Amino acid sequence: MSEFSDWFKDTFKNCYCDKGNLVNEEQFSEIVQLVLDNEADEESLAIFQQKISTCVKSNFTYEKEKCMREEIQKKLATYDKEIPNDLAQMIRKSVNL
Amino acid sequence: MSEDVLQDEQEVQRQNYSEKEKTEIFDSEFMPHVDSMYNFGYRLTFDEDDAKDLVQDTYLKAFRFINSFQRGTNAKAWLFRILKNSFINEFRKKSKQPAKVDYNEVEQFYNSDDAGENITTDLRVETVQHMIGDEISGALNGIPVDFRTVIILSDLEGFTYEEMSKILDIPIGTVRSRLHRARNMLKEKLAGYAKEMGYNKED
Repeated sequence: MSEFSDWFKDTFKNCYCDKGNLVNEEQFSEIVQLVLDNEADEESLAIFQQKISTCVKSNFTYEKEKCMREEIQKKLATYDKEIPNDLAQMIRKSVNL
Repeated sequence: MSEDVLQDEQEVQRQNYSEKEKTEIFDSEFMPHVDSMYNFGYRLTFDEDDAKDLVQDTYLKAFRFINSFQRGTNAKAWLFRILKNSFINEFRKKSKQPAKVDYNEVEQFYNSDDAGENITTDLRVETVQHMIGDEISGALNGIPVDFRTVIILSDLEGFTYEEMSKILDIPIGTVRSRLHRARNMLKEKLAGYAKEMGYNKED
């Protein structure tokens, strides 16, 4: 059992009404985050995948969040600062290497 | 960061490396992370010289306390932790950056019932696709440093929740919730920016 097993179960339950419809998108987005961050355990992941394969709204929310995450990460990654040429040399010098 | 903190945090047996081993560890395990360290430093300070100082200071401490580092363990996480602590304990005090945001207050707001109303859910993927890296980076820089940090560690550096928990000295559950709030803040910033720039208009 992983760190978030119980949290997942409780939160997942709160996301859906008795009929199984997604009623709490905000909490569901927390679950999506856990899945996208690869922090959900196998059991939680199976429950999640089963749900998004049958619930259009859940699937839409997941796909949207996934695309948004990928797009933001891609653009942030291209914005890395160029490392100063002399930095590695200065570090070595400061520790007498 | 004091020597005590560095030693206590690891709770490992103190090593007794030879000079040759120290050099090997420094070169093979620490130096490959200079780029990531510099970018992390820059994203915390927004200043190239300050980032450079912060990274140099981090490496100096890493070398001084190298016997607290266990060879083969996660050097990158260890270095990030030193840099983060240096930033909080020493650098931020003397830098030109505004005082630390009380993130408990911000977290309380995001936990409140009103928060859901304010969290932007209508930010469209297409809107983000229209933006350039500079704009997204600007939005990230606009959120409080403690929230910005979790996004950098997770989405840019690929640390796990457990690693982030150790780097930041916070429980793993707090990592999860803070990351969620941080991403919502970023979306809000992006949505606000998109509105300002007219990106939200239907094509």
